[in-house]
Amino acid sequence: MNQKGKSNITGILAFSRWILPIALWVILSLFSYEYLIKVEAKSLFIFDTFWLKDFLFKPSGILSCFSLFLTQFLHIPWLGALIWVLLLTASAELTRIVYRIPAAFSALAYIPAAIFTAYGMSIGYAVYLIQLPGFFFMPVLGYLWALLTVTVLRKTGKPAYSAVIMVTWGFAGYYIAGFYSLAGVLAASIDILLSERSRSFRLLSIAAAAVPLVLAPVAFAGATTYNLHFGWIIGMPEENYGLTFTKMQLPLILAMSFLALAPALRFLSRLSGKTVTLIIQSLAMAAVITIPASLWYRDDNFKAELGMIRATDNQQWDKVADIFDKVQTRHEQDSKWQPTRAMVLLKDLSLIETGKEGERSYSFDNGSQKQNCDFVVSTAVQIGKLLYMYYGIPGICNRWCSEEAELYGFNYMTYKYHAMVAILLDDTQAAKSYLGLLEKTIFYRKWAKEQLKLCGNRQLLTRTAPYDMIIPLMCYDDRISSDVEGCENYLLNHFNGPLPKNTTPLYDRVALFFALDSKLSELFWPRFFRYLESNNPSKMARYYQEAAYLFCKIDDNGLMERLPFDEKTETMYKTFMQRATKVGMKSLEDARKAIPVYLRHTYYFYFYYVNELELY
Amino acid sequence: MRKHLLYLLLCATSLLPACTGQPKDFSKGEDVSIFPDYTGITIPANIAPANFLIMDSARKYITLFESGNVKVIVKGGKVRIPMGKWKKLTAHGDITVTVYEEKAGRWLKMNPFNITVAEDIDSYISYRVISPLYESYGRLSLNQRNLTNFKEKVIYANTMASKGEQTQCINCHSFRNWHTDNMQFHVRQYLGGTIMYRDGNLAKLNMKTDSTVSAAVYPSWHPTHDYIAYSSNKTHQNFHTNHTNRIEVFDDFSDLILYDLTDNSVSVIENSPAEFECYPSWAPDGKTLYYVSADMGDPDEFNKRGGAVMANARGTFKYSLYSKSFNPDDRTWGKKKMFYDAAALDSSITWPRVSPDGRWMLCCISTHGVFPPNQEVSDLMLFDLKNGTYRYADEANSMKSESYHSWSSSGKWVVISSRRGDGVHTRLYLAHFDPENGRFSKPFLLPQKDPTHSWKFMYSFNVPEFTVEPVRVSARVLASFIKSTEATPVHYTQKREE
Repeated sequence: MNQKGKSNITGILAFSRWILPIALWVILSLFSYEYLIKVEAKSLFIFDTFWLKDFLFKPSGILSCFSLFLTQFLHIPWLGALIWVLLLTASAELTRIVYRIPAAFSALAYIPAAIFTAYGMSIGYAVYLIQLPGFFFMPVLGYLWALLTVTVLRKTGKPAYSAVIMVTWGFAGYYIAGFYSLAGVLAASIDILLSERSRSFRLLSIAAAAVPLVLAPVAFAGATTYNLHFGWIIGMPEENYGLTFTKMQLPLILAMSFLALAPALRFLSRLSGKTVTLIIQSLAMAAVITIPASLWYRDDNFKAELGMIRATDNQQWDKVADIFDKVQTRHEQDSKWQPTRAMVLLKDLSLIETGKEGERSYSFDNGSQKQNCDFVVSTAVQIGKLLYMYYGIPGICNRWCSEEAELYGFNYMTYKYHAMVAILLDDTQAAKSYLGLLEKTIFYRKWAKEQLKLCGNRQLLTRTAPYDMIIPLMCYDDRISSDVEGCENYLLNHFNGPLPKNTTPLYDRVALFFALDSKLSELFWPRFFRYLESNNPSKMARYYQEAAYLFCKIDDNGLMERLPFDEKTETMYKTFMQRATKVGMKSLEDARKAIPVYLRHTYYFYFYYVNELELY
Repeated sequence: MRKHLLYLLLCATSLLPACTGQPKDFSKGEDVSIFPDYTGITIPANIAPANFLIMDSARKYITLFESGNVKVIVKGGKVRIPMGKWKKLTAHGDITVTVYEEKAGRWLKMNPFNITVAEDIDSYISYRVISPLYESYGRLSLNQRNLTNFKEKVIYANTMASKGEQTQCINCHSFRNWHTDNMQFHVRQYLGGTIMYRDGNLAKLNMKTDSTVSAAVYPSWHPTHDYIAYSSNKTHQNFHTNHTNRIEVFDDFSDLILYDLTDNSVSVIENSPAEFECYPSWAPDGKTLYYVSADMGDPDEFNKRGGAVMANARGTFKYSLYSKSFNPDDRTWGKKKMFYDAAALDSSITWPRVSPDGRWMLCCISTHGVFPPNQEVSDLMLFDLKNGTYRYADEANSMKSESYHSWSSSGKWVVISSRRGDGVHTRLYLAHFDPENGRFSKPFLLPQKDPTHSWKFMYSFNVPEFTVEPVRVSARVLASFIKSTEATPVHYTQKREE
């Protein structure tokens, strides 16, 4: 390659330094916004000294607090993404400046930022389980703190001062940034060790660095209430609920290790030859692109779930089903694809809310795709509070808000649903407590103010969405129960249990829907007739007809002639049965291959082929 | 120098509102609305400042506290009284509080209210800080609050030993005779055991034996001898679907056991197969044990029903109050005696606690079950053991749940756990008690530095217990001990009966 070509490539690489962050921002804003919103929904920042004080009693609490402050801006994904990308870029550029990395090797400085990007975007389903408040912004902020540590500690003058500052900064920094500060102190000591300072200065600095590195976690553990076991890693997500060291901590340790190697990078300028330079720069740039690209969590169902959860939370019911529909269409030719249970449950809820369950519920594929991760997030943890709220079971919704808050910390969603439960149960004071806190947030203030108007005003409540659809479902007698066997089974048992004496038309409709799900004719018939009586539909919905037709056939109860079935119902039944007789009993995956879509999307297919789904 | 003088002048000026500024020109207002409601309460002389928030809407607020010749003025709607000035006020006796509110350019003098100052209270109160209404536990701690100020310290927190999914429940802290040199609490699951602190020595015990249904649960230290009476429960909780109660705690089994600290043994006190015995509580002379018990009917039939059915049949579980004589010298028990047949009155009685003078017993009465904190309504009931009479302590009760309660060492104060605030979070209320006529004063919310504390603190306080001194063993020592020590088994001995 001639000199001109080489300099062109170097120029392109240098240009890429600025293009990459912009590209990252665009990708995040356009394609990962649902995930970013989920990260925000799992966080909480309240402008209140009472709440902020809680962070002062744990090392790295202050860093957590700053991270949470920034996380709230992910509510507007492009804005939060912009802040994150700017911080990542700042971390790279400051690394270059602090370690005087020659411009020809500038891409190397982007490696920690690439690892942080990979960490942030590889979380996937762990987003439901991660326990560290502010986990998304924390690593990059921690890294910036570590860079500041290196800069400050390197500038000290006399050895004695240096030692004192090293110890003081080490302890104070540990309180502020935990693990990241320890990494900064270690990096600073290596930096000083490789510097041209006097031997005594270097030795004293290293000895001084050892003091906070060893003692800061011990000292702070003595003064606070965390387990010393976590002292040296505090500020990183813990291994928990299937979240492994490799996934949660290793990337951050690797990124911070870069600081230990960085002092050696200044010697790169001694390398001769543009080819070597070019190779190193190209490899670094490749790593910067490859690391996040290869670890970026991409899963259609995960993304769809996030979109559906958000749409459900916003009561954009048509959108919930549309998202499902789009994913299903994309995978039409993929016989192995199945929706997750969370998708199916949310889709069903949205159809019920829009009154379309009778016409559309079985026109979607059913299934039980295992989540694409090496641990399991139960449906209750994922969407329990949404389902229980909108199906009118506030007590169990409250349970999951409490469990989530206890295990993973309070977040906007837990407060929001706690408040909704309290409003529904007329616990005005409790509702005001939750809403009072949400009033002190930027993005939930308006919602909280609106909800405050509903507190104690039952008449207004019954007319206001979403309560107007929830209260009619609360027409049953309270009972004591637990959903230990899973969220989906609990809902089935709830609506398939003894029918309440005084039901509402909406309750009757939902009970009928769940009776279809149960495949039990003895549950179906009483609910079917009660539905007809209370809802008095002008025309029987397609899938209710199909179910009634099928149960008439099975039960041979003489109702066939008395019910006004469409001709299509009968035709479809006959066509399906002919095909099913040919195909025989098969697994869901094989049946999907063997039976055409128009027959798959019938109640008959659900009845005969959707069996023994794994529920989570 | 001039700068410094100016600075001093500024500082002095900023302090002026604390001692001047009472409006001279005002109209008569109405009753002031404050939170917490400290109007007309009786407080101990040594209590921390009763800070409050003025709930009326006004542009400016001035609050005047007067006691004898001591006057304190606090400006603003959030009334925080400086500690030193508060101590001067309470030292002089009863306090009159007058709030001035400026509305539309006019000052209103609201109707003054009084705070009666009574005798000192025990300086410390220990409680568990716990998230309400959940099954899992991420963060639990036993804390101790100094009632004379706002200082709170952690006795032990489960976060000090928990690792990932290996978490601990901690519960049932208890002290002997209001002193902390004899203290116990339980750690469940990870590194579990009963932690016994006696005269500077720690022990970790495994209280489950082959002859008892479970480990030890609700304790009561014997006042004169080295015994602790416990209930031994197998406890579950389930959730209400559609009720403000939200959660129901119930037992699958429960018995009573006695732990003898001198020979590290447990023996059965009561383990009738047809009964659920719970909440043992000694009379101050140590010669009578009070406890509650529910009749489950035919045990075989009952056990066939299983937990879920049992939970739903909660209405049938009504606990009555019993007593049992005890000779502490030879550890022999008398026959059980029905003390109050709550079940016959279609109610359920729990948590008997006898006053230090032995005359009064305070209990909790509710519609059903063994765990009233989570019930929408439960009330305190006061028994006069001298006259054999009883009554609802209505002056201390509210429309919401009153539950765990404790007497101070003097018997002049009680702490009551109550959900009268928001119905969800249990808060602590103090009430003065007159042992002569058996009347409580109006209960008041435990003062906090920030008067809005109970609106913002999303955890409950439960099992409040007074002590006259602080817990001396540090949380870190306890954590280190719990992590490094295996639980020692206790051995089982036969019950001795008269």
